[in-house]
Amino acid sequence: MSEKKKWFTLDLGFNKKVPTASSCGCGKTSGGCGSHEAPSPSKNEHAMTAEEFDKAVEGTMVDETRKDGFQQVFDVKMDRRTAFRKLTASLLVGAGAVQTSCSVIAGEESKEKAQIDWEEQFKGNYKLMTQEERDATVDRLVRSYQLRKKENIKMSATDASKNVLFGYAFNISKCQGYMDCVSACVEENNQDRNSQMQYIRIHEMKDGEGFKFNEADDNYYHEVPAEGHFYMGTQCFHCDDPPCVDVCPVQATWREEDGLVVIDYDWCIGCRYCMAACPYDGRRFNWSKPEVPEEEVNKNQHYLGNRMRKKGVMEKCTFCIQRSRAGKDPACVEACPTGARIFGNLLDPDSTIRWVLANKKVFRLKEDLGTEPKFWYFMD
Amino acid sequence: MVKDSLGYITHGSKTYHIWMIFLTAIMLIGMYCYSIQLEEGLSATGMTDRVSWGLYISNFTFLVGVAAAAVMLVMPTYVLNDIDFKHAVLIGEGLAVAALLMCLAFVVADMGGPSVLWHMIPGIGVFNFPNSMLAWDVIVLNGYLFINITIPLYILFRHYQGKEAKRSVYIPGSILSVLWAVGIHLVTAFLYEGLQARPFWNNALLGPRFLASAFAAGPALIILVLAVIRKFTEFNIEQKTINKIAMIVVVAAQINLIMLVSELFKEFYAPTHHSESAYYLFFGLEGKTALLPWIWTAIPLNVLATVLLTFHKLRRNPKVLYFCCFILFVAIWIEKGFGLIVPGFIPGPYGTIAEYRPTGVEIGVTLGIWAMGAFIFTMLAKTSIGIELGKLRYRKKEKLASKAA
Amino acid sequence: MTELRILLGFAIFLCLCSCKHTEGEYHSLNDKIEEEGKKYHGTNISSETYIGDIETLEITEGGHTFLIPERKGQLKSYACTECHSKPLSEMQNNANAQRAHWDIKVVHADENAMNCATCHNGNAMDHLKSLTGNAVDFNRSYKLCSQCHTTQFEDWKGGAHGKNIGGWSEPRAAMTCVNCHNPHQPQIESKWPVQFNTQKVKERE
Repeated sequence: MSEKKKWFTLDLGFNKKVPTASSCGCGKTSGGCGSHEAPSPSKNEHAMTAEEFDKAVEGTMVDETRKDGFQQVFDVKMDRRTAFRKLTASLLVGAGAVQTSCSVIAGEESKEKAQIDWEEQFKGNYKLMTQEERDATVDRLVRSYQLRKKENIKMSATDASKNVLFGYAFNISKCQGYMDCVSACVEENNQDRNSQMQYIRIHEMKDGEGFKFNEADDNYYHEVPAEGHFYMGTQCFHCDDPPCVDVCPVQATWREEDGLVVIDYDWCIGCRYCMAACPYDGRRFNWSKPEVPEEEVNKNQHYLGNRMRKKGVMEKCTFCIQRSRAGKDPACVEACPTGARIFGNLLDPDSTIRWVLANKKVFRLKEDLGTEPKFWYFMD
Repeated sequence: MVKDSLGYITHGSKTYHIWMIFLTAIMLIGMYCYSIQLEEGLSATGMTDRVSWGLYISNFTFLVGVAAAAVMLVMPTYVLNDIDFKHAVLIGEGLAVAALLMCLAFVVADMGGPSVLWHMIPGIGVFNFPNSMLAWDVIVLNGYLFINITIPLYILFRHYQGKEAKRSVYIPGSILSVLWAVGIHLVTAFLYEGLQARPFWNNALLGPRFLASAFAAGPALIILVLAVIRKFTEFNIEQKTINKIAMIVVVAAQINLIMLVSELFKEFYAPTHHSESAYYLFFGLEGKTALLPWIWTAIPLNVLATVLLTFHKLRRNPKVLYFCCFILFVAIWIEKGFGLIVPGFIPGPYGTIAEYRPTGVEIGVTLGIWAMGAFIFTMLAKTSIGIELGKLRYRKKEKLASKAA
Repeated sequence: MTELRILLGFAIFLCLCSCKHTEGEYHSLNDKIEEEGKKYHGTNISSETYIGDIETLEITEGGHTFLIPERKGQLKSYACTECHSKPLSEMQNNANAQRAHWDIKVVHADENAMNCATCHNGNAMDHLKSLTGNAVDFNRSYKLCSQCHTTQFEDWKGGAHGKNIGGWSEPRAAMTCVNCHNPHQPQIESKWPVQFNTQKVKERE
C-alpha cells in the first residue's frame, strides 16, 4: 500500500475555467438574487462538470488505486475554488444582505421587506441583546408592519424599573363572572381570534363545594351571578420560581427584574415543554397563524408584550407589560367593574396589594408545588 | 467504502427492492403530510392547548428506549467478550442509529418553529444547560448517535479493509456507550419526571420503568430483525445468541411488570386527586374513554408475553419466541408511547378533560418517519452484513474490473 | 482504568455545575418582598396621567391618603336648595311643583333601619347628615355608608374593596361608594356576561 499517493485528487478540471463574473458568491439560489450574469456561465459550468466528472472518475480508477473509504471522505484535497465556495457559504448572513440589495428587478419595498425578514431571522435572544440591538429590532418590526399593513404601530421596549415587583390579588367574593376582564384582555393583547385564544379563564364553581376545579364550569352560558355559585379567574401567575423558565431549552422565556415572566416570541422554537411544565395553565400556543382583524389591532405594543406573534410560538399573559411598565393597570384590572382585581407594586409598603396581603386572608393555588406565584386570592 | 456500500445497497433481490420501494412510498406520503403541517402550523395535528404533546413525542419517547437497548448487546460483546453476541452487535448498533434518527425526526416534526432550531446550538444560540432537561436530552442523544456511528463505523471499516479492529480503540468507546445508553433513557425519563405540574409523571419510578421497558422492547425488536436477517441473508446468527437476547428480554419484561404493579398499587390503593390521570387511562373519566381499548390490549399482551417467555421450553421455540417478541414490542409501544404521554395531560391543570385524537396528517408523518427508520436500518444492516460476510471488501480496482468482466 | 477515572471525574463535574438554583437569593417570595422592600424609596413611574380628566379631591382616612372623584359636580340636581327652599311636607302636596326625582324608592335595608331622613336633612338639603345629626358634605358621602358597612369601609380604605382609578402607582385614586352603588338601591343586578369562555376549547372535549 505504500506506493499510493497520499492525497486523493479528483480533478474536475476547474482550474482550467475562468471564474464567473458573479459577485454574488453565496450558495443560495433563493431570495431573489437577480444578477443576470450568473445563469449563462453556471450552465456551462454544470455541463462541463458532468462530463468532466465521468472522465475524472474513470481517470482515477485507472491511474491510481483508491485509498480507503476513510481517506476518500476525509482527506479530499480541495482546490481553491471549492474552498472558496465553502467559505462563502458560511458567510450567508452578510451575503444575504448583499444579495437583496444587489437585486435589480425587485422593487424597493420588497427588497426592504426581505432585508428586514432576513435580519429578523438571524437576530439573537432579546435577553442578551444590547440596547442598540433592541432598538434596532423594534425599529425593524415597526417598519415591517408598516410595509405589510400600511399602518403605524408604536412599539416600546421599556425595561423593568427599579424598586418594582408586580403583584396581583383577586377577590373571589367580588367576582360575578361578568367576563369584562377576558374581553379587555383579548382586545388589549392582540390574541388570535380564530382559535378564540384567552389568557384568562373564569371558573364558575358551586357554593359549598370548595375549590373543585374539575367540577367547575368553564363554559357557562347564562346570566351571572348564577344562584348558588361563585366565580374566580385564573391566568399566568408570574411565579417567582417559574417551572416554565427552568425547562425552556433555549431560554426564550425568563423572569424579568420586576417579576414579570416574559417570552421572546422570535426566539421560541415551539417545543411546548413550558406548557407541559406550567401547573396553572398559564401558557398558550399558536397552533396556527394568529389573526386579528386590522381594526381591532391594539397599536400600542411592547416587544415582550402584545406585539403580533407568529405561528408556532408560545404566548401568555404579561400583566400587560406595555401598560404596567408605564404605570397603568393591566387591561383586566381596569375592565373589571366590581373591582375584584387588585394590582400593584409589592415593594411599596403603602400599595393596595401590600395592604391586601397584610390584612386579608390570602392564599395561592397549588402552594405545595413551590412555584411562588405572585397572584393571591382572597375573600371579603 | 461509501461508494462500495452505495453500490451494494442498490442491488439486491426482488423482495429487497419491493421492500425498499414500499418504504419509499410511505416516506413520500409522510413528507407530503409534513408539508401540510409546515403550511398550516401544528393545528393540522390533533394537539391542543390541553394535550400539547401527542403522537410525535410518544413515538420519540418509545424510540429512545429502543435505541438505548442496543447497548444490551454491546456490553456482552465488547466488554465481556462473549463471542456469541459478536454477530448481532453490529445489527443492534445499526438499529440504535436508525432509532435515534427517528427520534430526532419526531422531535423536529413536533416543533412549532423548525426553522429556528439553530437557537439551540450553544455559541450561536442559547442553550439552557444545565437547567433544562431538554438541553440535557439534546446533548445525550446526539452524543449517543455520535458514539453509535463512530464505533461500528470504525469496526466495519477495519473489517472492510480485511483487518481486525483494534481493541484499544473501540473498547473505551463501547464502555462509554453502555453508560451513555443508560444515561439517554434516564434523561428522557427525567424530562417528564421533573415536571411537578403533571402528577402522572412526577413519580420516582418513571426513570427505572423507562429503562426496564426499553430493555424489554429493544432486544425484542432485535430478535425479530435477526430472524428476518436469518431468513433473507447468509448471515449466520447462532441460536445461542438469540437465546441469550431472549433471556435479556424476559428478565427486563418481568422487572417491567413488577414496576407496573407497583405503579398501579400506588394509584389505586388510596386514590388521591393525583390519581385522576391513571383513572382516565384505565377506566375513563366522565365518559371519556378513548384510551381504554389501547391500554387494555397493551397490558394483557404484555403479561401474556412475559409469562410465555418465562418458560424455557416456550422461549426456545422460535415461533413462540417471535410471536411473544412482537406482541411485547407492540404492548410496550402503546404503554410507553401515548399510554404515558397523553394521560399526563388529562385532566388538565384545572381539571378539564379534553381528549386527544391524532389527525391524518399526524399519522401520515408518523408512518413516514417509521418508514424512514426502517429504510435507514435496512441500508445499514445490508452494508454491515455484507462487510461481515466478507462480500463487501476493499479491493484493488483491477480485481473489481476483472470480476465484472 | 484511566478511562473509568476520567468518566467518574466528568460525572462529578457535571453534578457540580448542574446546581439548579441560579437565583438562589431568597427562599420564598415573602422573604424577597421583605428584603427588597427594605431598600424601597419610591419609583419614578407615575399614574397621574391615567386618572384622566376626572375631577378628584384628596382625602385621608385611617392612615391612607388617596384621591376620590369629586361628587357634587356630577350630581345633576345639585344644589338641592335650588328647588328645596320650602319644607318637604309642602313640596310633596304641591301639584304644580316641578317633578324631578319623585320615583326614588329606598330599597336599602328595611323600614326600621333606613328611610330618606336617615341620610338627608329635610331642613338643610345641601348636606347629608350622619346618624348623630352632624352635617356631612356630598363629596364625603362615604362617611355615611361607613356607619353601617364598617368592614367594607376598612377594605375600601386599604384598597381591597372598590375600583381603582388610573394606575397602580402614585397617586392612588379610587372610586367612592356611590360611584358604583346607587345609595337608594345599592344592590347590583345580575346581567349577561360580556362574552363567553372560548367555545373552541369545548368543541375539542
